[in-house]
Amino acid sequence: MRLERNMRSVCKLLAQRLAISLLVLAGVSVLVFAIARIIPGDPARIALGPNATAEQVQKLREQLHLDRPIWTQYGYFVRDLAEGDLGISLYTNRPVTTDIAQFLPATLELILVAGIFMIGFGLPLGIVSARYRGRAVDHIIRIVSLLGVSAPSFVWAVILMLLFAFFLPLFPIAGRISTDFEIDRATGFLLIDTLLVANYAAFGNALWHIVLPAFALALSGIGQAARLTRANMIETYGRPYIEMARSYGFPEWKIASRYAFRPSIIPSLTILGLDFAAMLGNAFLVEAIFAWPGLSRYGVTVILRKDLNAIVGTVLIISAAFLIANLIVDLLIAFLNPRIRYGQGSK
Amino acid sequence: MKRAAAIVLSNPMSLAGVILIALVVSSAVFADLVAPFPSHRGAVVDFANFNQPPSWPNIMGTDLVGRDLFSRILYAYRISLILGIVVLLLAVPAGVVVGLAAGYIGGRTRFILMRTTDVFLSIPPLVLAMSIMGVLEPTLANGMMAVTAMWWPWYSRLVFNITLAEKEEGYVLAAELIGASRIHVMFREILPNCFPAIITKMTLDLGFVILIASSLSFLGLGVQPPTPDLGSMVAQGASYLPDSWWLTVFPGLAILVAVFGFNLLGDALRDVLGGDQ
Amino acid sequence: MTRILKATMTGMAFAALAVAAEAGGTLRLDEVAVGELDPALATDYADSMLMFNVYDTLVLPRQGGPGHVPHLAESWEGSGTSFTFSLRSDVSFQSGNPLTADDVVFSYERMVGLGRGLSYLFGLVESVEAVDGDTVRFNLSQPYAPFVASLVRLPIVDKKLVMENLGEGEGDMKDWGKAFLSANGAGTGAYAVKSHNPQEETVMVRNDNYFLGISEKAPDTVRLRYGLEAATVRTLLAQGEHDISSQWIPPEVKKALADDGMQLLTESGTGAFYFKLNTTRPPLDDVNCRKALAKSFDYASVLKLIAITDNVSGGSASTGAIPVGMFGANPAGQNLARDIEAARSHLAQCKYDPAEFTVEISWIAEVPLEERLALLMQANLAEVGIKSSIKKVPWALFTEMVSKPENTPNVSQIFVTAVTGDPDTLLYGMYHSSAAGTWQSPEYLSDTEVDAHLEAGRTGASEADRQEAYAALNTRLMEVTASIYGFDRQSVFAANPRIKVPALSDPAKAFGLDGMGFSFRLIEME
Repeated sequence: MRLERNMRSVCKLLAQRLAISLLVLAGVSVLVFAIARIIPGDPARIALGPNATAEQVQKLREQLHLDRPIWTQYGYFVRDLAEGDLGISLYTNRPVTTDIAQFLPATLELILVAGIFMIGFGLPLGIVSARYRGRAVDHIIRIVSLLGVSAPSFVWAVILMLLFAFFLPLFPIAGRISTDFEIDRATGFLLIDTLLVANYAAFGNALWHIVLPAFALALSGIGQAARLTRANMIETYGRPYIEMARSYGFPEWKIASRYAFRPSIIPSLTILGLDFAAMLGNAFLVEAIFAWPGLSRYGVTVILRKDLNAIVGTVLIISAAFLIANLIVDLLIAFLNPRIRYGQGSK
Repeated sequence: MKRAAAIVLSNPMSLAGVILIALVVSSAVFADLVAPFPSHRGAVVDFANFNQPPSWPNIMGTDLVGRDLFSRILYAYRISLILGIVVLLLAVPAGVVVGLAAGYIGGRTRFILMRTTDVFLSIPPLVLAMSIMGVLEPTLANGMMAVTAMWWPWYSRLVFNITLAEKEEGYVLAAELIGASRIHVMFREILPNCFPAIITKMTLDLGFVILIASSLSFLGLGVQPPTPDLGSMVAQGASYLPDSWWLTVFPGLAILVAVFGFNLLGDALRDVLGGDQ
Repeated sequence: MTRILKATMTGMAFAALAVAAEAGGTLRLDEVAVGELDPALATDYADSMLMFNVYDTLVLPRQGGPGHVPHLAESWEGSGTSFTFSLRSDVSFQSGNPLTADDVVFSYERMVGLGRGLSYLFGLVESVEAVDGDTVRFNLSQPYAPFVASLVRLPIVDKKLVMENLGEGEGDMKDWGKAFLSANGAGTGAYAVKSHNPQEETVMVRNDNYFLGISEKAPDTVRLRYGLEAATVRTLLAQGEHDISSQWIPPEVKKALADDGMQLLTESGTGAFYFKLNTTRPPLDDVNCRKALAKSFDYASVLKLIAITDNVSGGSASTGAIPVGMFGANPAGQNLARDIEAARSHLAQCKYDPAEFTVEISWIAEVPLEERLALLMQANLAEVGIKSSIKKVPWALFTEMVSKPENTPNVSQIFVTAVTGDPDTLLYGMYHSSAAGTWQSPEYLSDTEVDAHLEAGRTGASEADRQEAYAALNTRLMEVTASIYGFDRQSVFAANPRIKVPALSDPAKAFGLDGMGFSFRLIEME
């Protein structure tokens, strides 16, 4: 009975959020489309290369509908999008969807591992820091996490690379997996593909490759997560029911995990969703340094090359990924926090 | 105010923040006096002395055309600070107006304004700025515009949330009862209550704007040479790792120091003034 | 579980050991740009490397000297406007299809039909016809001396295979097989494409049915990786996990690698580095202002900048408008040099007042060396009292900017190479008035005397005629000063000493054609 009511309200919330997300995505498409079309420089001329004749350029312009008014172009774009067609990339000469399908898994894999690092290191650090508030350990964690937040991921990437790939060559400096392994890329997620074929050596190798870039990407998130968790836990530690639990002689770890941690994780989760967006952007910087063949690198190249279809496609996909991540975070919060679940959505 | 200053200065971490910021700001302001080679901010080349490791008098080494890295970092701080301040001066008022209007007026206005804000927030910040810089020529002014475009939505969201809470408060209702105009209520009654949160966020953000701007110029979308810029210094130096480590490590640390300083101070302000997470 | 864990741990340690275990069959190299596999779209160095290995051409440049030797063609005859080639009868494509005259005709038609890449080289070809199964005739609309040389840019594709794999498109030929050829090979070449990811790497394997046979020492597998950072290449090479660097890593990095015991491979003689001056916009529409720039430039410092070791450099001193070794070039030693006094006097004669203009110097974002050269020029110009600004332009945007003279920067920095090794393909595209407004010709030069010399050079019946025409062209180009001739270019690659690449280390084996030094079949692995 209660479960059913829970499910209904969650479904309602989901539908509501989904509708808003789609609306936002439509807005994003308009925005990006507008940006991509006012780029100076003729994409047809750039695509055809330096030696093309004026007629060839004109022909390609017509093929791409560049000679039509911008709203007509947007109409074509929406029509094609409905058919799952994002056009041909002028940079790789392949359908944008093919490119994205090839490059997106690498980026998502990197971000997901970074997200795991963020939670796996950030939350415990925050908990320890809050538990030992004011002690040396707390100060050290606070300074370290603030440092993590204080440098762009490319600086961390450079520093980690310098320390752990150059001077102390513990990790590889480029790529996703050693060339010795030939793995059938069924999903594109190497960590999954290697497990699918039960090649554990290859799995280890892929894992070994992802550690440094994911860590560079995660550092600011780790700092952020640790700081938030600490602040929220300190707040909950101050609540009367914790005192009560203490006076009942509950073990300290139980107080920390059950009574202090759970209420404090909710604000952290919201920020996690936002940090996911930041990581999608920062992946641009980390992928460049670690030669990670992902979507972000593709994104930088196509922006520099004025590859309209690819720019629009990439930004749309990245935004969609971000919206989905936030949707998941919202739902998680709804499950964790009854107040929000029964209320009218979160702030 | 005095009390707040006292609290900030009594905490060793925020004191450290104040010192770091003082260092950064004064090196930016007095770069002409402090820099050992003031002319090296511009188009100077010295091929007899390029790509040299740290030594006297080039305490941070020389860059690829023989300029003193230390001097250039001091001048780069100047550009970074100007950029950060200008971006916030543009983004904060824009975000504040949108947030106030959406929160106070509500209804359709709220829907349109906050969904627009969401559109901007749902494009990863760097991607949005890059798309804009892809359109425009890479100059300082355009860099500021691009970063501003990605920054204002955060303030509109912050102010929106505060406004939603504040507009149910007694003092707002009282003002409405005596017939104060919407503009008056928004800007005279509600806005002052947003100030602590805004100021805290601005302090923290000054560091983050510097950070994002350096990321943009790392991708080649920022200030153009010979103007010194921390992000592009790191980007250029990255090709010369690990042999010429000083080309990347010092500018990278310079970014770290500045942002760290603003974060320390921002943290302290948050404790004193309260404010957003 | 323990077993899995153990295997995983081994995997993590594996790459360190893999270095020693794997050596032998695989050649690993890298390029900055994304490799374009479709030979009709090939333009840059990476594309050429792929093309010269996956495909073959009718002729090849003679190693260690001028001229061309038969390759897919057994022999050829003809001159003026008609050339007939007899094809070898023992050549098959990698698909197993035999090579026929039809394939040659198709390759030409595809190249011209797509109109991309270097198809402009064949603008003077009127028609190509299959005389019989293994004889093919090219008809030209007018005599073109470097015609045979241009054939090194006409890779022969497998007609049957391509026709079986046409993609979507309009007209009879649909997409000319573009979708297929952008991911697959269809050549006779010594190496076959195994996999191609335009952002990561192209993997090629040895074609053991190659018509010339391949030495056992040649690599079994070649991995051409894309977009590696200089620092990455430097470390991978030092750790033995990479074999040959691209030429684009900075000189300092090559020097560090040489100090670590790497060998330096070189390829030279086909091009130069230019500062191109836009002759249509003030102040550089005045020849005296252009000369002031050229004379104030510090040629000697550039050489210092591109030097790698005492013996190897990224280029040699320029002696004039034509690189040393080509028709019409001034001999080595007559180096261009800085002359401040001359620069000042030219500036005084210029109709524009230096107080009132700023020269815009652009540099290509993908070539970091150019930023330093821009700074050098800026400092040089400041010394004679000329103000300048520096602008970074991504390559794609640059090719677009130069299509209009008013958008073209005052000064553009460009590496240009003769794509066929012949001076015509270097100079005509840069300086003929009909070719203005491409990335090679941001000068917008329009000079009847230059045009006449260029025409004489490409139609000259004998080598002596051509030599004379290009010598006159050289003189005239120095007079009009449309470009500043920075240095004659030499490409330098850092390589593991266990790799022997005679075409890039022994001048007697050099092809004199950019990219052909990387004919993998001639590389020896030890």
